[in-house]
Amino acid sequence: MIKNYIKIAFRSLLKNKGYSFLNIFGLAIGITCASLIFLWVEDELSFNQVFEKQDEVYYVPTNQKYEGEWRTFYSTPGPLAKVLKDEVPGIVRASTTKSENLMFAVGDNTISKRGMYSNSDIFEIFSLSFIEGNAKEAFKNPEAIVITKEIAEQLYGKNTTALGKVVKVNNETSYLISGVIENIPDNVSFPFKWIAPFERFAANREWTNEYGSNFADTFVELAPEANFETVDALVRKKYLEETGDDETFAWLHTIKNWHLKSKFEGGKVVGGRITYVRLFTVIALIILLIACINFMNLATARSEKRANEVGVRKAMGSGRKRLMFQFIAEALLMATLAAIVSIVLLFVLLPQFNLIIDKTLVLGLSNPLHFSILIIITLVCGLFAGLYPAFYLSSFKPVEVLKGIKATTGSATFIRKGLVVGQFTISIVFIIGTILVYQQIQHVKNRDLGYNKEHLIQVDVTGDMVKNFDVIQQDLINSGVAESAAFNNSQLLSGGNNGSGLQWKGGTNTEDVLISFRYVSPSFLKTTNIELIEGRDFSANSAIDSTHTIITQSMAKLMGDDSAIGKIIRRDAEDSYQVIGVVKDFLYGNMYGTSDPVLFFNAPEHARYLYIKTVAGIETSTLLSKIEGIMKKNNPAFPFEYTFVDEAFNNKFKSEQLVGKLSQIFAILAILISCLGLFGLAAYTAEQRRKEIGVRKVLGASVPTIVKLLSKDFLKLVLISILVAAPIAWWLISSWLDNYAYRIDINWWIFVAAGIIAIIIALVTVSFQAIKAAITNPVDSLKTE
Amino acid sequence: MLLELNNISKTVKSGSKKVTLLDGINLNVEEGEFISLMGPSGSGKSTLLNGIGMLDTFTEGHYTFLDEPVHTMKEKQQSKLYKEYIGFVFQAYHLIDELTVYENIETPLLYKNVKSSERKALVADILDRFNIVGKKDLFPSQLSGGQQQLVGIARALITKPKLILADEPTGNLNSKQGIEIMELFGELNKEGVTIIQATHSESNAAFGSRIINLLDGKIVSE
Repeated sequence: MIKNYIKIAFRSLLKNKGYSFLNIFGLAIGITCASLIFLWVEDELSFNQVFEKQDEVYYVPTNQKYEGEWRTFYSTPGPLAKVLKDEVPGIVRASTTKSENLMFAVGDNTISKRGMYSNSDIFEIFSLSFIEGNAKEAFKNPEAIVITKEIAEQLYGKNTTALGKVVKVNNETSYLISGVIENIPDNVSFPFKWIAPFERFAANREWTNEYGSNFADTFVELAPEANFETVDALVRKKYLEETGDDETFAWLHTIKNWHLKSKFEGGKVVGGRITYVRLFTVIALIILLIACINFMNLATARSEKRANEVGVRKAMGSGRKRLMFQFIAEALLMATLAAIVSIVLLFVLLPQFNLIIDKTLVLGLSNPLHFSILIIITLVCGLFAGLYPAFYLSSFKPVEVLKGIKATTGSATFIRKGLVVGQFTISIVFIIGTILVYQQIQHVKNRDLGYNKEHLIQVDVTGDMVKNFDVIQQDLINSGVAESAAFNNSQLLSGGNNGSGLQWKGGTNTEDVLISFRYVSPSFLKTTNIELIEGRDFSANSAIDSTHTIITQSMAKLMGDDSAIGKIIRRDAEDSYQVIGVVKDFLYGNMYGTSDPVLFFNAPEHARYLYIKTVAGIETSTLLSKIEGIMKKNNPAFPFEYTFVDEAFNNKFKSEQLVGKLSQIFAILAILISCLGLFGLAAYTAEQRRKEIGVRKVLGASVPTIVKLLSKDFLKLVLISILVAAPIAWWLISSWLDNYAYRIDINWWIFVAAGIIAIIIALVTVSFQAIKAAITNPVDSLKTE
Repeated sequence: MLLELNNISKTVKSGSKKVTLLDGINLNVEEGEFISLMGPSGSGKSTLLNGIGMLDTFTEGHYTFLDEPVHTMKEKQQSKLYKEYIGFVFQAYHLIDELTVYENIETPLLYKNVKSSERKALVADILDRFNIVGKKDLFPSQLSGGQQQLVGIARALITKPKLILADEPTGNLNSKQGIEIMELFGELNKEGVTIIQATHSESNAAFGSRIINLLDGKIVSE
């Protein structure tokens, strides 16, 4: 019997190639799309899973109160880890870590890798497994460093022992390789390729022992039997006990939430990437749903063709159940073929998808999880898509269908129309979503930043750059590639050092306002085009201005309505600065919010980044090679590492851009699948009404009238879809936009535009069939009766 | 007695009107009879055949098949009964397009859960008997009308039914093919199969042992 079903299914598949293609291809696109999303979701969910101690490991963030608001920071003072480990029962291990970039050199072979300074507890906390050396002895030597297999192979080649070798670092010091650990995959929240003793970092850095400076990542491990609530409560009290500060406290953030739930508001976890993971999972299911709807629609639309077979089979003694079974078997066969097609599509598309989402996902069909999920998707799609047609088709009465009485299609037509409306509603929501997400991203990107990010290069300060700055600057300008250059101690786009408790004359205190400090060199304002509203820039002779400060407009406002020039700002008893200039506010940190007030100090010696304003219109490669030449000449020991500020700026929108791109892809796919379905439906409608069209033509109807007649019904459905989709899209997008302080308003014309796009696409799809039907010679269509 | 119809009526609703298709039919059919139902279009021939074949129900009256009351049965029991004893032959043949001759004939056996080896033997027998062994792998569209109807009859006979119901079996055939089919029915009847056919044609009706004339849902003469 089953053999018979499969045989029939295959033959009917081959006989109706067009129909089979629409069905299988539509479903295959759906399965492909869902699989891509599920692969992405799997990757997101597997973040940090490489670390064994999922129940015991915690990150220690700090909450600090500013302007009455708790804000969460990913940095802690140096002494905290030890205090937690020694004084909080239940914490068995703790590490103060500092993430840094090191440049390793073996002969001519140099590589730059990020890693961290830490203590040997970290090996246990992250359950790192040693290939060479061991955790116990790894940090016995103060010059030790533990590297991953990846670095070891890059430095020394494969199958060579790295243990015991001395590697030159940053061209100045050497490290002794005391261990090689297994590679750490990309999907971890705090990536590292090497670990070196923290003491080495702390040497000559007194501030690493003070509570005043937050710079480190603190990780702790709880005893397996420890109660989280108890330990967390104790941790929260520690800060107050240690420093007397009741506006700062540390707390425990479980490793399970590092990646997906790391958005904080008011000092509490309020979600994070998990929102996108959920959103995309729902979208994957919706796309599958659309594909299944196609299947149902086409199957029921074709029912008249199958009705005869149903009648004969029933007359031959088939029960309803057997017929249902047969139709479901057919649906399953289609779904299986679709799954096979989608595996091919996945192979082709995965590399492109990886480019878009910036990941390295692999299909991994040999992975039992992937394989079984594919099978489950296939089965569920087959069953879901086949069930309704099976119910519907098997209900036909043999007497009626064999006599050629048209099966009463009233309910099926209604459901079919409903399903088309459903599909198009989803597609239109996607179209609207795509447009609005794109608009929002553009909106923020076009925001007035307060500085000019174009033609601006950021170079990491290394070696002799500060010492040789005057020469470097002169060379850059003389070579014609740069207009100016200046230092900053933090990245232009990011938040950097900040603090509070400033005082100025007039008795006003900043209290809770968080103020950022920027240590720059004199031409910084000119280099970045930050606009000076009042007063002057630091003068080239930097010594003069060492006790002066330039402030932003919002800072000036904080200090009173009158001109701020000449006012004195006091940081503490010894440190006071006179305001010499006021600049326009500029945007850093959160690109969607408003930035805190800033104080600029003239202190090039703190430089960490060099900004170069390049001359516009020079080819990038020429530009870079010239700058590199100048850097090599004046700072020969170090490689030239740079970032284009506009690129860095674009990178800040990664997750929004991901949403934008994916939503675009989903919109296209949803439309494509829906159109496949609509195309099929139109084909069947045209076929069903062949005779009617023939009669109408004989009676004198023109081609356009008939095209209109056939397209009208479908357009009505699309119009209904627009009406249904608009409020849904509006609601979804408003809640998405609520995440952003700086956001667009939703314009009504977008809904109109999306509607017009949907109508045009539907019209093109349907009219193809309609025109085909309309130009048929009526003699052909009438004689078949 | 093979079957007995007692005061059978059938009415359907057409819009707000009630239409009577069969009106007080009484009919006894003995095993081995060859009955021709005659009458103009709309006289109720097909309705009567479908009712006897249990593809359709009567609205009134008693229908007894092999001493069992069909009118009180549930659809499942009816289906069991006609699967066992009744074969259908249609005017438009109604072969399944996607199946070969062989598979079309085999289908009723599948629904009766006959074992594979037995199925093979039965189908081979009937192909042989109807002289269509050479056509067994062809699809219906590759056959002439007469050949398709031959397959249709072979399919009806494969389950060895007591009763064959044929609704205008020669309606789509030319006269030569029609005569061949009717001769085949004559032969089958001699072998003991009861046949009830509906027909317009006097000459086809003459093949039967008994002619029943219908008009407006009533038996007008026998």
